[in-house]
Amino acid sequence: MSYEWDVAINKAILNNSPKVHKILEENPYIKDVASELRETKNRVLDDIDAYISKTQKSVEKLGGHVHIAKDSTEAMEIVKEILGEKRKIVVSKSNVLYEIKLREELENEGMDIWETDLGEYLVQLNKDMPSHLVAPAIHLTKDKIGKLLNENLDSSINENTSAEEMVSRVRKFLMEKYLAADAGITGANAIAADTGSVLLIENEGNIRIDTVLPQTHIAITGIDKIVPTLKDAFNEVIVQASYAGYYPPTYINVTSGPSATGDIELQRVSPATGPKEFHLILLDNGRKEAINSDIRESLLCIRCGRCYFSCPSYKLYGKDFGDSPYTGPTGIMWSAITSKKYDKSMLCMHSGGCKEVCPMDINIPRMIERIKFRYMEES
Amino acid sequence: MDINKKRIEKMRDLIFQNLMDSYLPFPLDTKLYSSWANNIPNSGDTVIYTSYMYQISGILKRYEALFPKIYRLNIPKRLMTASKFLIKPKDEELQRAFRILKSITSMLSGSGVNFGYLYDQEPYSGALLLESGFIKEYKEYGEKLYSFFNSKGIKNIITVDPHTTNALKRYKDFIDFDIDVKNYLELVKFKGSGNYVIHDSCLYSRAMGMYSDIRNKVNNSGLSIDENYLITSKEMGSCCGGPLSLVSAQDSEEVSRARAEKLLSVNENVLVMCPLCYENLSPYINNIKDLAEVVS
Repeated sequence: MSYEWDVAINKAILNNSPKVHKILEENPYIKDVASELRETKNRVLDDIDAYISKTQKSVEKLGGHVHIAKDSTEAMEIVKEILGEKRKIVVSKSNVLYEIKLREELENEGMDIWETDLGEYLVQLNKDMPSHLVAPAIHLTKDKIGKLLNENLDSSINENTSAEEMVSRVRKFLMEKYLAADAGITGANAIAADTGSVLLIENEGNIRIDTVLPQTHIAITGIDKIVPTLKDAFNEVIVQASYAGYYPPTYINVTSGPSATGDIELQRVSPATGPKEFHLILLDNGRKEAINSDIRESLLCIRCGRCYFSCPSYKLYGKDFGDSPYTGPTGIMWSAITSKKYDKSMLCMHSGGCKEVCPMDINIPRMIERIKFRYMEES
Repeated sequence: MDINKKRIEKMRDLIFQNLMDSYLPFPLDTKLYSSWANNIPNSGDTVIYTSYMYQISGILKRYEALFPKIYRLNIPKRLMTASKFLIKPKDEELQRAFRILKSITSMLSGSGVNFGYLYDQEPYSGALLLESGFIKEYKEYGEKLYSFFNSKGIKNIITVDPHTTNALKRYKDFIDFDIDVKNYLELVKFKGSGNYVIHDSCLYSRAMGMYSDIRNKVNNSGLSIDENYLITSKEMGSCCGGPLSLVSAQDSEEVSRARAEKLLSVNENVLVMCPLCYENLSPYINNIKDLAEVVS
């Protein structure tokens, strides 16, 4: 454990864990919603193909496009086909985008692609990987951030520059990228099968711009993000935001197909001001196989990231406890699902705090134990 | 952090062979370790079961330190049961373990519980196999263990530490293991005094869901307990580092040190309920006690 990481993780825990505890104490309905959501997500897993099909029909009815990708390679082929000649891309924080190595591959093709979440932007500048699902740059100190921005963005920034000034300078840079972008690529916090809506929560406002300003919006997410109804999707984002310590979330973005207007004789016309194209890529990448396995419960995870702060292994190893972007207790499960990597489960101390704080009541220690069994049994 | 799987496999094979040969993970002087008891019947369908955990907790780290050497020297498995590898605890460590076991026994008797003891025939529980992920070996040894208990007519087991409790209770998830397992904390009432911070056993308090029951019993006993949400709550309480020692002794010690520091920020007097937690934390804490040392 480095001194910097020790300081960073302890600060993050101090700033986050009591806050989440308070949010849940003051808003007891959230635990009830979480409990209901667990049942709902289990129902979807029982009949995943039907829900994928329903989502597809709903999105197409709105004028959007749905693509099914069985793995990362297929997902990237679809993305490249959609992008065609488009070279200027803005992306918002998403672990699935890391899962399919989207930025890395598009950068290699010479595209001008930028992370627009501040934490992810810093991770991009640092040629690094995120250290937490929700807070990707908690491993970077303000001094380190100052140095990164000095070397990569503005030589007038130094260690004495205030955080406010740093944020302001990044905002100015990103605004130029938003205005020039041909496509905005996002993940999704929830997908409503009945309406085909993609829900995204955030606090910075970058996702709102990513999904509205460029003329093409591509949302890429795992099939585990599908819930039956728009109400369920709102439930999922509220639970995720609350357990991540953001209540109320500053923005909840709902995207139901490309932009449209009904202002001329109430006839729906698309596009209007926002994107003219909307694509939803639904990624399997091991998820369906996991439904029928002994780690199925892992798929209920909504990736709030709360389990990280109750985990002694994460506190010790940081992002080395897992395989980025899937780190921490939940990352051990997601790495097993999406890349069949089991080795880091051996670093689990079965402390069990992860289960206690999980909004979906996933028996994470039991899941990790089974992944350990897999690791020891594989030749 | 790279995992040395070959070393782990070697250790697994060694422990497993010892268990299948002798019911012990490594050579142990069972006569010595069972000498704390002298007037408990060696019969009956209910037994108190130590799995030698309190008695050997002081020497486990020395055995763990041997494993990398065994791996590097590639010592044949058959030589590992030789008596030269018999490590003995310090006398004061052993006497402390005996006092704890006598205290637990006394609390059980005082609570009207009748039980026998297997003395030097007591086998090891298999906890190390389960907790290390050696599932095939855990199941196979569990079947042997179940046959052993059946041959002795044992139907109820009273455990005294979290690792043994967990290992025995979990067997039924994988194999036939129709034996009722209760931990002594479920059976006893006790009184005590003093002001402490509790370092919970992760297995008792979270895996087995005993957090509230333990808090209730301790708070009703006369002991005064200091709490801090980030350090001692069920949600945020943390590990002593012990389970990591098979993968990295150095990392395990780092977790122990950090945990001790947090506990000491709440209270200089620390209470544990697990012999391994005691071993891992005691190098960093002056006044650390097992619950059975401060209540009766």
